[in-house]
Amino acid sequence: MEKSSTSKSSKPAPKEESLFTIKKWNAVALWSWDVTCDTCAICKLLLVDACMKCQNEIKTEDCVVVWGECNHSFHRCCIASWLNKSNRCPLCQREWIVQRIGR
Amino acid sequence: MASNQASVKSTKLSVKNFKPKVRLPDAGKEEWWNQLREAVRAIHNRCPISYNREDLHKAVGHMCTHSLSPRLYNELKIQCEEYTKASLHQLIDDFMDEMAYLIKLNSLWKDHCNQMIMIRGIYLTLDRTYVMQNPLVLSLWDMGLELFRKFIVSEQTVEKKTIDGLLSLISRERNGETINKSLIKSLLRMLSELQMYQYHFENKFLQVTESLYATEGQNFSQSLEIPDYLSFVDKRIKEESERCLHYLEHSTKKPLLTSVEKQLIEYRKEMIINKGKTELLDTNRLDKLKLMYSLLARVNGGLDELCKRFSLYIQERGTSMVMDTERDKTMVTELLDFKSKLDSVIELSFDHNPKFINTEKDSFETFINRRTNKPAELIAKYIDMKLRAGNKEATDEELDKILDKIMVMFRFIQGKDVFEAFYKKDLAKRLLVGRSASVDAEMSMLLKLKQECGAGFTSKLEGMFKDIEHSKELMPHYKQYLNNQKIGHNLDMTVNVLMTSNWPTYHPMDVILPEYMISYQKHFQQFYLSKHSGRKLQWISTLGHCVVAANFPLGKKDIVVSLLQTLVLLQFNKEDEISFLDLKQRTGIDDADMRRTLQSLACGKVRVLHKKPKGKEVEDNDVFAYVSDFKHKQFHIKINQVQMKETLEENINTTERVFQDRQYQIDAAIVRIMKTRKTLSHALLVTAVYEQLKFPIKPSDLKKRIESLIERDYMERDEDDAYQYHYVA
Repeated sequence: MEKSSTSKSSKPAPKEESLFTIKKWNAVALWSWDVTCDTCAICKLLLVDACMKCQNEIKTEDCVVVWGECNHSFHRCCIASWLNKSNRCPLCQREWIVQRIGR
Repeated sequence: MASNQASVKSTKLSVKNFKPKVRLPDAGKEEWWNQLREAVRAIHNRCPISYNREDLHKAVGHMCTHSLSPRLYNELKIQCEEYTKASLHQLIDDFMDEMAYLIKLNSLWKDHCNQMIMIRGIYLTLDRTYVMQNPLVLSLWDMGLELFRKFIVSEQTVEKKTIDGLLSLISRERNGETINKSLIKSLLRMLSELQMYQYHFENKFLQVTESLYATEGQNFSQSLEIPDYLSFVDKRIKEESERCLHYLEHSTKKPLLTSVEKQLIEYRKEMIINKGKTELLDTNRLDKLKLMYSLLARVNGGLDELCKRFSLYIQERGTSMVMDTERDKTMVTELLDFKSKLDSVIELSFDHNPKFINTEKDSFETFINRRTNKPAELIAKYIDMKLRAGNKEATDEELDKILDKIMVMFRFIQGKDVFEAFYKKDLAKRLLVGRSASVDAEMSMLLKLKQECGAGFTSKLEGMFKDIEHSKELMPHYKQYLNNQKIGHNLDMTVNVLMTSNWPTYHPMDVILPEYMISYQKHFQQFYLSKHSGRKLQWISTLGHCVVAANFPLGKKDIVVSLLQTLVLLQFNKEDEISFLDLKQRTGIDDADMRRTLQSLACGKVRVLHKKPKGKEVEDNDVFAYVSDFKHKQFHIKINQVQMKETLEENINTTERVFQDRQYQIDAAIVRIMKTRKTLSHALLVTAVYEQLKFPIKPSDLKKRIESLIERDYMERDEDDAYQYHYVA
C-alpha cells in the first residue's frame, strides 16, 4: 500500500503535465464591414451604423452594405435609391456592378 | 243718461242706519285703567296679580276698539320707563366686584325679559292692532328693550363695567380658568338683543384678542421650539372656535379666527417655516408637519411660503448629497431614501397636494443636475449593481420595484446620454462575462428605458442582446465545423461576435497568444466569414476570459480568469520565476494592463503568484513565481480583475465620448431644423435646438457648433443681418 502511494505521487513529473492548461476559452470579437472607407459616401454616416432612413425606422438589422466592382461600398438602401437616377458609382463614375452583398 | 241709470240702480240699494256706538261707561273705564296699572305694577314688583288675566286682556281689547290705544300705549310706556329708571340704582349704588356685578345685571335682564313677556301677554291686542297699524311705533317687546338699553346698559358706567367684566372673564378663561359660561352666554345674548353686541362688544373683543395674540405670537414664537409652538397655536385655534360655539355670536367666528390666524400664523409664517421646516423634515415628524401644513393652509399665502421653503429644503439637502464627492458611493441609495421620505411626507402630511408633488419633482431635477454627469453615471452603476448576478437581496418583484424607483431618479437627469454610455458599458460587462442576474430583469429594465426615452434610445442596447443571442446560436454550428476540421488540441472555445456599433468602443491590444490559440482563432474566422461575407473580425483580447486547469502540487484546481491573466499564468509552464519586464515582453500586454493583471494574481484575495519583493504596487524590478504550495478549499476559484484604475480611465473615456457624440447630435439637430425652416433667426434656432436635445448645452458651445456648420457650408449668415441664418442645400 505504502509503495503504491509513493509511486503514485512520484509518477507525474512536475513539468510533464504542464502546470496551467486552458480548458475553456470565451473569446470576444467585434465584426465590422470589410471596407476601405468607413463612411457611406451617400448618406455620410458610418457603414457600421445603419443608414439614416433605417435608423429612423429602427430596423438597423436589415441595413447591410454593398460592394461594387470598383470596391466602393455603400449602404444598400442608399445605393438603391441612387441607382434610380444613375447606374454609375457615385464615387468613381464607373458602371455599377454589385461585387458582393454583406450578410 | 247717467242720471237715469243711477236712478235705476238706486232702487236696488238699501241704506241702513249707523250702528249705535257702544260707549264705554266712564266709570268702568276708570276701573280698567286702574286695574291695568295695578297689574303692571304687580308684575314689576314680582307680586301676584289680583285680577283675572282674561278680564285684563278683554279690557285691553275693549280699549283698543274704542281708539284708546295711543293713550294706553303711552301710559304703559311711561310706567315701564319709570320702573326701569328706578332699577338702575341697583347697579350704580353698590360696590360690587366684577362677578357679582355681572350676575346682578344678568338677573335684572332676566327679570326684564320675564316681565315684558307677561306684560305683552296682557297687552297682546294692543301689540296686534295699534302697533301693527303704525309702523313707527315699536312693538311692546322692542319698546321694553329700548327702555332697558336707554336707561340701564347705555349708562356709561354700566356699559363700561359690563364690557370690561365680560372681557376679563374671557381673558380668565384664556388663561386656563373655568368660568361661568352660561352667564357670559346670557349677557352676550342680551347685548345682541339690545343691538349692542357688534358695536360695543365685538369690536373691543376683537381688539383685545388681536393684541393678546400679537404679544403671544411674539413671545412664544421666540421662546418655544417650533413643534411646541405649532401645538400651542393649534390649541389656541381650537379654544377660540369652541368659544364661538359656546357663547359668542356666530358672526364673530370668522373675524375672530382670522385675527388669531393672522397674529399667530400669518405674521410668523416665515419664522415658523424657516426655523421649523428643516428640523421637522430631518427628524421626519410627520404629525407636526401635518399640523404645520393644516395651520398654514388657514392663512393667505401660507402654503405658497411652505412650498417655497419645501423646495429650498430639498435643493439644499439634495445638493449636499450630490455635490459631496466623498458620498458618491452612497449617493444613489441616499437619493432614493430621500425621495421616498419626501413622498411619505407629501402623502401623509401635505395632503397629497399636487402643488407639492410638482415642487418636489422640480427641486429634484434642479439639484440633481447641479453636478453634471456624475449622478447619471452613479445611477447607471446602481442599476448595474442590482442587475448583476450574485445580488440575492431581492426577488424579481422586489427588483422590479427598485428599478421603478430608480427610473424616477433617471427621469430627473438631463444628461440622459451620459447615463446611456455608462449603462451600456456595464451592460456589456454583464453580458460578456455572463454575470447578468436574470434576463427577465434585464428586459424589463430595457422596456422601462424604452418607454421613457423612445425606441431610438434603446435600439443599440437591444442590439447588444441580439448579438449575444446570435453568438449563442452560432456556437453549435462552429462546434460541428471544428469536428470536421480535426484539430489536435482539445480546447473548448466559445466566441461572442458583436456588432461594433452596438457596443462601447474597446481599444484593441495585440497580445502574443500561444500557437494553438491562434489556430483556433483562425478557424473561427474562416468559419464566420463563410457564413457572413463582407465582414471582418477584430479580436478583443481584453474581454476574453478562460477556465484554466491548474495542476498544483497540492491538488488540481479550476481557475476562472481573464484572458490576460491566462497568458501570464501560461508563462509559468516553462519557468518558475519570471521578471516583470520579461512577462511584459513575452505576452505583449501593455504596461498598465500588465501591472493590474499581476496585481490581481499576486496581491489579491486569492494569490497564485508570489511577488518579490512583497508590496501592493507592481514595480519594474519585481520578480514573480507561482505559489507551489497553493491551497484553497474550493475547486472552482475565480480571480477577479483589479478594477479601480480601469474605472477611472474608462470613466474619463466614456465621458469624453459622450461629449463627442453630443457635438454630432447638436450638429444634426441644427441641420434638421434649418432644413425644414430654411431661414431662421439666431434666437429662434437656439430655442428650437434646446427643444430637441436631451442633454444640457451651454449657449457658447451651441454658438461654436453653428460657426462650424457655417464653415462647412451647411448654412450661411444673411448678408445684412448677422443673426439670420439660411440653409444651404
